[in-house]
Amino acid sequence: MHKFPETRDSLLMQVRDPANREAWEQFAQIYRPVIYRIAVARGFQDADAHDLAQQVLIAVATAIGRWEKSEEETRFRNWLSRVTKNAILNAVARRPKDRARGGSSAQIGLDELAECDRATEELLAQEYRREIYLQAADRVRVNVTADTWQAFEWTVVDGREIAEVARQLGRSVGAVYSARSRVMYRLREVVRELENR
Amino acid sequence: MMTTKPPACANAARSSELLQGQLNSFEQAEFESHLESCAACRQWLEDQAADEAQWREASHLLMADPYRSSLDARREHETTGSHLIEQVITALAPTDDPEMLGRIGSYEVSGVIGVGGMGVVLKAHDRSLDRIVAVKVMAPHLASSGSARKRFERESKAAAAVLHPNVIAIHSVNIDGALPYLVMPYVRGQSLQKRIDAEGPLPQLDILRIGAQIASGLAAAHNLGLVHRDIKPANILLEDGVERVAITDFGLARAVDDASLTRSGVIAGTPQYMSPEQSRGEPIDHRSDLFSLGSVLYAMCSGHSPFRAETSYGVLHRIGNEAPRTVRDINTDVPEWFDRLIHRLLSKNPADRIQSAHELVQLLSACIAHLEQPSTHSLPSALRETKSRRRSWLAAVTAAVLLLVGFGVMTSRSLTTVSDKDEGSVTSELPDDRSAVGSEYRHSDHATQWDALPITTTLEIQRVATELEEEARTPFAAVDSR
Repeated sequence: MHKFPETRDSLLMQVRDPANREAWEQFAQIYRPVIYRIAVARGFQDADAHDLAQQVLIAVATAIGRWEKSEEETRFRNWLSRVTKNAILNAVARRPKDRARGGSSAQIGLDELAECDRATEELLAQEYRREIYLQAADRVRVNVTADTWQAFEWTVVDGREIAEVARQLGRSVGAVYSARSRVMYRLREVVRELENR
Repeated sequence: MMTTKPPACANAARSSELLQGQLNSFEQAEFESHLESCAACRQWLEDQAADEAQWREASHLLMADPYRSSLDARREHETTGSHLIEQVITALAPTDDPEMLGRIGSYEVSGVIGVGGMGVVLKAHDRSLDRIVAVKVMAPHLASSGSARKRFERESKAAAAVLHPNVIAIHSVNIDGALPYLVMPYVRGQSLQKRIDAEGPLPQLDILRIGAQIASGLAAAHNLGLVHRDIKPANILLEDGVERVAITDFGLARAVDDASLTRSGVIAGTPQYMSPEQSRGEPIDHRSDLFSLGSVLYAMCSGHSPFRAETSYGVLHRIGNEAPRTVRDINTDVPEWFDRLIHRLLSKNPADRIQSAHELVQLLSACIAHLEQPSTHSLPSALRETKSRRRSWLAAVTAAVLLLVGFGVMTSRSLTTVSDKDEGSVTSELPDDRSAVGSEYRHSDHATQWDALPITTTLEIQRVATELEEEARTPFAAVDSR
């Protein structure tokens, strides 16, 4: 799996209640890439996007202490999503690019800001879904043969012709249909699992 | 096109069976060759797998992910550490000596020793004293952060205060320049982690010697009120040629009462060797280091850390809640008494551990003497459970016999009272692994319950009593002298 052990572990330290730690770890695993991609889509450089993801997660992790004391009745995951959404909106609105514009354009109208928020929210929903799919794909991939996965990836993700892929893999067209359908079916199952946990 | 009805083909039902993994390989091959010619079944199969929108979504969402490619690129950088070394080397001052890479302060840099989380360690020549030193330079991206600079300063000051052969010395510290650095003696050797990776479990005598030296270095630091917080094999340096061990990287060391930096949550130790109190983010004291040292001893015996899991959450959960597999399960060469020592250090509750590094040094030194000359040096009494265990087993046997007698005589009140008194002292001495029997005995604490003991229980006790008797006869000396 992709991770920066040091930063992730130290963030985990913020969550005092062990019952919430697993939830937090799963959460951070999903949201770190999500924040990164939103930042890149909003014009951040690679290193700045990683920093932003870390900052947002630190901010959220710091807030967890407050939640653990005060909002017992709110479901931890729901609370996390809300806080994170706000943190992302704030961070993206404060991005250096905006501040550097200067002059009259530095005064961003409220409309423009609200418009930016709406767009970011849509992006957030989409990138969240993408992360669920990507992590589901990681799981499915290790449980099928390399050929089966290639048949799926080449025909579905890369959009290549089935006959051509079959030739390259040295398999029949029927086998390629079978392989990609089996992967797709399993992928949907895992996506559903990840969404509901 | 999406179809909602299965095609009028004899093989239509095969589709869902295939997707649910219900076909054997022969049936699957058969169906796949049918798909070759039957377009209706192909369509039906795809529709069963997912609807059109879902196929499109998968295709769209699984396209190349910038986050993952960015991570791959970074990891490649990180494993070599080349970008960090490059940054540090280019930041060095120019030197006149063509053999040298550059200069930092008055030190002529001749090479790179290693890269760590905090920065780069350079090999350098100290011109004023004509000696080779190791210069630890803070990574440039950290040097620009105030809190990291502070931590670096704290690390240096803490480590510099500890003067002990088993703690790497700090010659000097410079935190004023663009790149803060500290100067240490140059030690030729490898880390304990590397040795474990290369050799697996180490010989028992080596384990004891290395452990005693780490404990000794820790005792010196603890005397100054410093907790290392990050004791792990990678931070233990084994010098070449001499049998000396040095604790390095007081990266997380701090005065016990100074919690300011930790509270910000940015600093944390390596989870695998963390203590339970550390893993919960609770306040810690020197006994946290003793737990970590217990894990290091465990790793030397078994070749790996005691608490392993796929995720850091899993590691932390195990540290806090689970007892590790005993070392003897993994490596039968480890003597039982050493297993007991590790077990005590790995107690979840700090109060149940060996209480000081100093005490541990004495214990380990006595173990070394015992291992080298078993005839003249007996095992330290703290690790000798044999006698008390034998005594308690004998006591248990006695109790069992008494119980049988008591049961045989049936409800003679006077006898019950007598054995009841004996019972109390016996119960508390029962070893834990006999707790099943112990609980039976505890029931019998109340004289009135004697009568209530069913016959099956009595037979059970008889069986266990025989077992205990046999075990009590086995010689322990042979085991202990290993």
